[in-house]
Amino acid sequence: MSADASAAAGRLAAPTVDSGGVIHNIGYRRYDAARLGRAQIVRALIWHSFRAAFGIGRGAKAKIFPILLFVLMCLPAAVNAIGLALNPGSQPAVTYDGYTPQLRVVAMLIFVALEAPNLVSSDLRNHTLPLYFARPISRLDYPVAKLVAFLLACLAMIEIPLLLLYLGTATQVHGASQVWEQTLQLGPGLLYGAAWAVLLPSIGLLLASMTGKRVFAICAIGIPLFFSYILANVLAHIGEQAFGPAGFGQPSTLTSLAGLISPFTLLGGVLRWLQKAPAPGGPPVREVMQTTVGNYGALYGAVFLILTVAAIAGLVARYRKVGVA
Amino acid sequence: MITQSIRESGGHQPPEPGAVIEARGLTMRYGSTVTALDDLTVSVEPGITGLIGANGAGKSTLIKILLGLLGPTTGTASVFGHDCVTDGFVIRTLSGYMPEHDCLPPDVTATELVTHLGRMSGLPATAARERAADSLRHVGLYEERYRQIGTYSTGMKQRVKLAQALVGDPRLLLLDEPTNGLDPAGRIAMLELIARIGAEFGISILVASHLLGEIEQVCDHLVAIDAGRLLRADSIRSMTQASSVLVVEVDEGLELLQADLSRRGLNPLPYQRGLLVQLAGDATYDTVRDAVADLGLPLSRMEQRRHRIEELFRADPAEQAGQTTGAASVS
Repeated sequence: MSADASAAAGRLAAPTVDSGGVIHNIGYRRYDAARLGRAQIVRALIWHSFRAAFGIGRGAKAKIFPILLFVLMCLPAAVNAIGLALNPGSQPAVTYDGYTPQLRVVAMLIFVALEAPNLVSSDLRNHTLPLYFARPISRLDYPVAKLVAFLLACLAMIEIPLLLLYLGTATQVHGASQVWEQTLQLGPGLLYGAAWAVLLPSIGLLLASMTGKRVFAICAIGIPLFFSYILANVLAHIGEQAFGPAGFGQPSTLTSLAGLISPFTLLGGVLRWLQKAPAPGGPPVREVMQTTVGNYGALYGAVFLILTVAAIAGLVARYRKVGVA
Repeated sequence: MITQSIRESGGHQPPEPGAVIEARGLTMRYGSTVTALDDLTVSVEPGITGLIGANGAGKSTLIKILLGLLGPTTGTASVFGHDCVTDGFVIRTLSGYMPEHDCLPPDVTATELVTHLGRMSGLPATAARERAADSLRHVGLYEERYRQIGTYSTGMKQRVKLAQALVGDPRLLLLDEPTNGLDPAGRIAMLELIARIGAEFGISILVASHLLGEIEQVCDHLVAIDAGRLLRADSIRSMTQASSVLVVEVDEGLELLQADLSRRGLNPLPYQRGLLVQLAGDATYDTVRDAVADLGLPLSRMEQRRHRIEELFRADPAEQAGQTTGAASVS
C-alpha cells in the first residue's frame, strides 16, 4: 500500500498548494546505502565538536578568540625561530617543558573558560540533548565525545606551538646530534603538554555542564581557575617569606603544598616531581609555574590523577542524570 | 553490527503488515507516587496513528519508552519487533523523534543543524547534506534554511523539528505535539505535512496530541490514553462513525420538525439554531429529508459532525449530544 503511495509520489511533479505556502512535491527519496555504526557516529560528533571549539561552523564572531589565543600561543615559537635565525649559534630562548608558562596559563584559562561552555552548555540551554539521545548513540557517548573533542582541541592549542618551536630550533642547529638532542627534549615537553590537555578540559567541561547559561558557565570556570592560581602563588610566596626561602635545605611545607590548590600549579608540580631534582648546592629553583614541591612530589602526581578521574567521573555522572526532554 | 541488524530486519522496505508498535502491560512509575503509565497494552498498525490524551496522560512517557530512553517499571514494548529495552540502538536508527518542547539552537542555520543531526543518525557526510536539503524542502523551508534558526517564526521552527526527525530516513516518526504553539493556519499546514509524509513517503507515524479535532483529520487509527491507561484503540472510521450526529437546520418551524422527527423515532435534540440527530446509517438522512419535505420547511443545513475527545468515550449518545449543545437539561 505504502509502496504504491511512495511510487506515486515519485511520479508526481505538480506543486501541492497548502495554506502555509507552496510545497513542491519533489517526491521522497529513501536512503538505502549502508549506515554508520555507533563508533563512527561518535567520531563524527568528536570532529564536529573539535571544530566547534575553534569556532568553525559557528559564525565569524566565534572564531575570534580561539584563533587569537592560538596565534598568541605560537608567538614564542616564532620569536625563538627569528631569534635563532638572526643570531646563529645562540641558545633557544624558550624551552619545551617551560614553554612561556604564564602565557600558557592565561591563554589556556581563557580558551577553556570560553570554549567549554560552547561545547556543552548550549546543548543544555537549548534542550538539544533529546535530539542526540533519540539517535543511535548511548547516553554516555555524548559526554565522552565532547571530552575527547575538547581534549584534542586543548592538545592542538598546546602541542602545535611546541612542534613549531621544535621545527624552528631544529632547522637552525647544526648536526644530527643537536637535532637529536632537540628531539629528546621535545618528548617530555609534549608529555607535559598532554597532562595539561587532559586535566583542563575535564575540569572545564564538568563545570560547564552544570549550567546552561553561557555567562554563568564562563564564570564558573574562569573565576575558580584564575583565583586558585593567584592564591597558590601568594601562599607559596608567603611560605617562602615566613619560613625562609627554598634552597636552604628543604622548602617549607606551606610552599610545598600551596601548588596543590590550582590546576595550573598542580601541573607545574607534577612536572617538577618528574624532573630530576636540582643539583645539591645549586641555585634555589622556584620559577613561576615550576611549582615548589619539596618532599611532596608524589602527592602532586596523586592529586593530578585523582582530580582528572574525579572530573571525568563527574561529567559522566552529570549526563547519566540529565533529563531527555 | 547495528547496520547488520537493520538490514536483517528489512531495512527500508515499505512497512510490512503487522504491528509497528506493541506494548504489553507497560507500567512506568517515577518514584513511588507518580504513575505515568499503568498497565498499558496496545498495538499500533502501520499508517498514521493518533496518540490522544490530556496533558500528563503519559503520551511523552510512552514515546520515550519506545525510543529506549526510559526503561519501563514493568511490562514490555517493541518497535518493528525490536525490544525497546535491549534494542534501543536499532529502534533509534529506524525512528525519527520530534520532541514537544523547543530543542533548537538559535545560533546555527537549519541546514547546518539538520545536516549534523543526519550525521548523528548514521548518515555519511555527503548523504547527510543531501538528505538535510531534501528534508528541509519537504517541510517547506527553502532559502530560509541558510538563516540562523534564532530568526525563525514558531511555525518554521516546528518545520525544522520535523525535518530533523525525517533526515535519517526513518520508518517510524514519533511526533510529540507537532502543532504546539502554532496559529490555526500553521496547524493546518503542519497537519497537511504529516498527512503527506504518512501517505506519500510510506512512513508510519505516531502523533501525540491532546486535540482530537485536529488529529482525527489526518489519522488512520486512534489510541486514546488517560492517566496512563488505555481508553480505546481503534480505526478512526469505526470510532467516529459510531458516534456521528447530524445537524439539521431549518429557517422556520423548528418545533414542528422536532415533533415530527420524534414521531419518526429519531429523538432529536435542540442544538444552537438547529436540531441534533443521532446518525444511524443512510436511513437517517432519508427520514430527515422526508420529514422536512412533508412539513414543507425551508431546509438550510444538513451536516454530519464529529465529537470532541471527551464525547467520544461516553457511552450514552443522549448525554453526548447534551454535552455538545451545552444544554443542561435534556428531556
